[in-house]
Order: sequence, then C-alpha cells, then structure tokens
Amino acid sequence: REEPAKDSSQYRLKAAVHYTVGCLCQEVAEDKGIQFSKQTIAAISEITFRQCENFAKDLEMFARHGKRTVINSEDVKLLARRSSSLLRYITQKSEELALNNLEQKERKKKKSSAAKGRTTSDEQVEAVMAESEDSNMA
Amino acid sequence: ATAPRRKREPALPSSLVKKIFSHYVKVPVARDAFKVVEKCVEVYFRQLSNDLEAYTMHARRKTVEEADLELLMRRQGLVTDKMPLHVLIERHLPLEHRKLLIPVAMSGNKVIPHK
Repeated sequence: REEPAKDSSQYRLKAAVHYTVGCLCQEVAEDKGIQFSKQTIAAISEITFRQCENFAKDLEMFARHGKRTVINSEDVKLLARRSSSLLRYITQKSEELALNNLEQKERKKKKSSAAKGRTTSDEQVEAVMAESEDSNMA
Repeated sequence: ATAPRRKREPALPSSLVKKIFSHYVKVPVARDAFKVVEKCVEVYFRQLSNDLEAYTMHARRKTVEEADLELLMRRQGLVTDKMPLHVLIERHLPLEHRKLLIPVAMSGNKVIPHK
C-alpha cells in the first residue's frame, strides 16, 4: 500500500522522537528507580511531537517580529521567557554554546594561520625547487 | 490645606470591571468574587506590560507598536489564522475606537448618488 511522502516522513520523525524519548525515560527510570509503561512513553512522545509544532510556529513568529528570516538564540530565549527557571537554564546553555563557538573560531584561526604559514613555507620550497629545476634545465 | 493623598497604584475603576464582567458571565456573582476579579485584572496588566516590553525590545524598538500587541494576542491564542486581529476589533470595540484602529475610506464613498 502506497502512502503520501509527507505521511511517511512524519512517521519517520515520530519514530525518531519515540526512540529518543524511550532512551531518556530509561535514564530517568534507572535514576529514580521507577518503571515507565509503554503507553506512557508513547504518550510523552506524542506530546513532544505536538509541542514541537507550537515551538516552531512561535519561533517563526518571533523571528519575523525581529524582521529576520533566520531564527536565532534570542527567539528561543523569548520562547522560554514565561518560566523563569527554564529561562535561566536556556540562557546558561546559550552562553556555553557562545563560548564554545568562540573557542572553535579561535582554533580555526590558529589552524588557518598555521596552515597559511605552512603553505607559504611550502610555496617557498616549491618556488626554490622550481628555481633549481629551472637552473637545472638551463 | 488638604492632607496629601496616599499614592495608590493606578487601576481600572471597579465599577467598570464589575460591569464588563457581569456583561459576560450572565449569572449572579458574589461580592468577594468581584474582588478576586479585580486582583486578577491588576496581575494581568502587570504581565501584559512585561510581555509587551520584551516583544518591543526583541524588535529593537523603544516604542510599543500594534505589531507587538498582535504578537502577544497570537501567543495568548486570541488571534489565529482563522481569527485575525481586525475581526476581534470589529467584534469587541465601540464604533469610535474601531474607526481609529481600522481606517475606512469615508470620503468619496457616496452611497446615494445625487442627480
């Protein structure tokens, strides 16, 4: 039986969400020493999936409100504004991410500068080689 | 000389809150329930101003505009794709306010053609 492409992709997404929710529930179960029934995990997955729809719509709205087409961390913070504890957590995480990004950029810079240095030295060597070759040819 | 009056928080007149609330409930409401409603209105306005401030700052503005209010009402679930803002305005606001918010071309719109 053939299904529309949208449906099958939705099922795949739901399955992926369900799998991850299962893993997270397992962690909680081990941590707290309680059991999750299969129905409970399925219900949490369905809630998560539908909540994503709300989040997506709201984020899109916030980005458009800021006259942007790209959603950034500020929009995500605005989404979590209602709950102060969640906002604190999100802000902390976004700061961590920003720091990581900076570090990576610096590393890239160092690498690229090092690479540049190497390339220049390589080029010099090549140039020297070429010259020597030229002289040999001559 | 009159004694200096104690500064109170500005609030909607309780008679108005009472009138609006009873208009919508259509059942008798106890007096202490109205007190609770007034408290709720106070809290509502406080939260409204905080939200509007956040949305205005988000758009890198210092003045609250209609777009901020519409966004707020969207998040509250009042404005949806099926229920646009101007429909709510038409439905709930008196004519003089509607005229301010939804400018209608009044000039040159002659209903009765004169001969």
